[in-house]
Amino acid sequence: MTPAVLLAAAPLPLLQNGLMVGAILFSLGLVGILTRRNLIVMFLSAELMLQGISVSLVAWSRYHGDFGGQVLVVFVLSVAACEAAVALVFVLQAFTRTGRLDSAAWQSLRESTLARSVDHEIPAIDAPLPVFPRLTPAGVSPEADADAALQREHV
Amino acid sequence: MSPSFLLVLVPLLPLVAAIVTVLVGRRLGSRAHLPAVAGIAAAAVVAFVLLVITARNSGGGEHPRPVDMVTTLWQWATVSDAYVPAADSPAAVPGTAVGADAHAARSFSIAVALRLDPLTATMLMIITGVGLLVAIYSIGYMHDDPGYPRFFALVAMFVFSMSMLVAASNFLLVYVFWEAVGACSYLLIGFWFQKPEAARAAKKAFLVNRVGDFGLAIGVFLLWLTYGTLDFHDTLSPDGTILPGILGQTRLADVSGYVGGAVGTAICLLLLLAACGKSAQLPLHVWLPDAMEGPTPASALIHAATMVTAGIYLIARSAPLYMACPGALVTVSIVGTSTALVAALIGTVQNDLKRVLAYSTISQLGFMFASLGTGTLLGFTAAIFHLLTHAFFKALLFLGAGSVMHSMGGVIDMRRFGGLRKLMPITAATFLIGSLALAGVAPFAGFFSKDEILASLHHKGWPSAHGEHGEHHAFLPVLPETAAAGPTLHDVGYRGVADHGEHTIAAADPVGLDALDRPGVWQALFWMALVTAGLTAFYTFRAVFMTFTGPLRVPEEAGHHAHESPRVMTLPLIILAVPATLAGFVLFTTEGLSRFLAATPSFTAPAVTATAAPAVFHWDLALQGTLAAALGIVIAAVGHLGRRSDGPQLERWLGPVRPFLENRMFIDQLYTAVIIKPVEAVAYLAAMFDRGIIDRLVRGVARLPVSAGNLMRRLQSGLVQRYALAGVVGVLAIIVLLAWRL
Repeated sequence: MTPAVLLAAAPLPLLQNGLMVGAILFSLGLVGILTRRNLIVMFLSAELMLQGISVSLVAWSRYHGDFGGQVLVVFVLSVAACEAAVALVFVLQAFTRTGRLDSAAWQSLRESTLARSVDHEIPAIDAPLPVFPRLTPAGVSPEADADAALQREHV
Repeated sequence: MSPSFLLVLVPLLPLVAAIVTVLVGRRLGSRAHLPAVAGIAAAAVVAFVLLVITARNSGGGEHPRPVDMVTTLWQWATVSDAYVPAADSPAAVPGTAVGADAHAARSFSIAVALRLDPLTATMLMIITGVGLLVAIYSIGYMHDDPGYPRFFALVAMFVFSMSMLVAASNFLLVYVFWEAVGACSYLLIGFWFQKPEAARAAKKAFLVNRVGDFGLAIGVFLLWLTYGTLDFHDTLSPDGTILPGILGQTRLADVSGYVGGAVGTAICLLLLLAACGKSAQLPLHVWLPDAMEGPTPASALIHAATMVTAGIYLIARSAPLYMACPGALVTVSIVGTSTALVAALIGTVQNDLKRVLAYSTISQLGFMFASLGTGTLLGFTAAIFHLLTHAFFKALLFLGAGSVMHSMGGVIDMRRFGGLRKLMPITAATFLIGSLALAGVAPFAGFFSKDEILASLHHKGWPSAHGEHGEHHAFLPVLPETAAAGPTLHDVGYRGVADHGEHTIAAADPVGLDALDRPGVWQALFWMALVTAGLTAFYTFRAVFMTFTGPLRVPEEAGHHAHESPRVMTLPLIILAVPATLAGFVLFTTEGLSRFLAATPSFTAPAVTATAAPAVFHWDLALQGTLAAALGIVIAAVGHLGRRSDGPQLERWLGPVRPFLENRMFIDQLYTAVIIKPVEAVAYLAAMFDRGIIDRLVRGVARLPVSAGNLMRRLQSGLVQRYALAGVVGVLAIIVLLAWRL
């Protein structure tokens, strides 16, 4: 008796529900990654898509009565954890270098003939921004980035 | 050292000198002449040794043997079975005449082979000898010139090319060095390339020579098709049979070895076209007067003594080819004599000393052509004889003119100076010697060579006055093999071919040129030559009187230069004055040159030896020549002795002819109107077509990918979300495609 038989095959509605949830998660993530410009949020959205796939994997696994899919999900989770660590390092580095989390702040790969894409109508931020204490600047002030003025402070 | 090694040394030494000068000339500075002078001097010594060796081999006495020593250095190119003659091709016939299989496939092979025979030895001696004196002279003439090393590199390069040209034993090799001397000439005419006139003159010389070179190229093609080889000498094929060369002993001994008729005449006329280009004969003479823009030593060496004689050499070398085509021969004479007359007429009114000498060179070369065209042994040797004496006295005159020019601060217009005999006695004396030689005054060199030329024309014009032709003279070469008795090629071979049908080109005398070969024509040519001799004396002494007699006048440009030229320049003048005085007398009285040249393989063809006539001194001809010269000198004296410029008498005598002659008979204007303007118009149209239509089309096509790229470019925004969106759209498109397919 193979181990696969130990798991009873689930009925079709369970599969459909699982796939539905997975699809919803994937779509939410996709919409998030296409619309949000905050690097952390984009990253979260990507994770959401990943989890959507994982859910569908589990659903199929249950439907077929096979552990393979669930084993794969466990692997995906662990790999996703590593990947999250690496990605967050990138995000952190990007932030410490420019002080921004806006993905539109990095446009250097565009065609040199194209103008920089700039937000013309910046939505007002309702909540008052907290004022963080700052150290008195010392030494030569770095060259001002002309593009920085065009950027949003927060995304 | 073997003669073949020495033969290789003659071109090799100047070549090494040229390369050394190119490499280290700048560092040598004012000593940049050393490699060239040393190399050419060594080559001259070797050439002299070769001359002695050749003279000894040729017997030197009463019975010279044909001397034909060939050194094959390496095989340049070999193409096996390059050409398979058609069964009834006229090209197949000559082979049968010399025993080879006419219809066998021919291999095209070009050997880099040098030959030594009397003609080559004589030419080598002239080239290296005059070259050496000119190189020494240039040390003084070219000093302080910024292009000093370049000049000597070019002179050495020229001596190399010219030596190879006369030593090559292969028509293709001759062609290569024919172009090489042309290139050297181009570079030396345009030596002062910053000067627009010099650059234009160089271009003109090059382009006019192209016309002649075209003739040579086509002629060489035809020679190969006709004779199946381009070698002068016989070669051994791998299977041991002898492949007869065009001028080899085998073919020379065969009376039917040479093609006449249309093909032969075409070859000869094409070679004549080539010779006309290089030797500045009508109608391609226009480049030589302009070539005087180059440095005077280069004019003396290249445009008077050596390079321009390449045409004479080519025709003399191809003598057996011409002997088969009487029409081509008489054409050579007609071209030569008319050139001599026309150039002499134009030369009479030129005011530029170097131009006078340039037209004189054209005229004298015309004499040589006239002599070659007689197609007699006397004519051939007389042409080379005149070539030799002319090389000496014309180089002398040019170097003298250079000395005057040097001293006058670059002024060469004879109207602006005068009475220079007191200022520069050595130049004046040597120039006078050269002029006497050029004018043909006994006993200077030109008298004897010109007399021989007139005699050769006279022989043709009045054959009965000189007895029957064909009397064998004492110094006739002993042929290695008796000539095979039999009908000549254009009697049998070509008529045989013509019988096949449409090969009408093979008919004898297709263009009617042979009809010109009759005494009346030769008589006219003789009288033209005699008139030219008188004109020669006139323009020569006009130049002498305008330059050296009368009150002393010096242009302001002369400055501190107005004195006799330095020793290094007068020494070559004095050395050249010796052969200009003696060469004619010595070589004529001893018959040394004509005996020596008679051993040249080309002149041992039965057709040539059959014309050998006893060399006698014709008192009547000499008297006529001297009278013509004396008349010319007297008229020049009346018109110019002691006067500032052309006297009023001359003005009156010439009348309306004068502007015609001063404008060089409007030949340049004619070429401008007939050739240059239409070509320029066509070029303009072509340029318009190119720019207006072709270029626009090309630019339009080029704009397509640019605009397509501009469209795509807008997608490259650099925004991460856009790229992600593109990815999503792509995935969706794939899904849709897959779903649609399913």
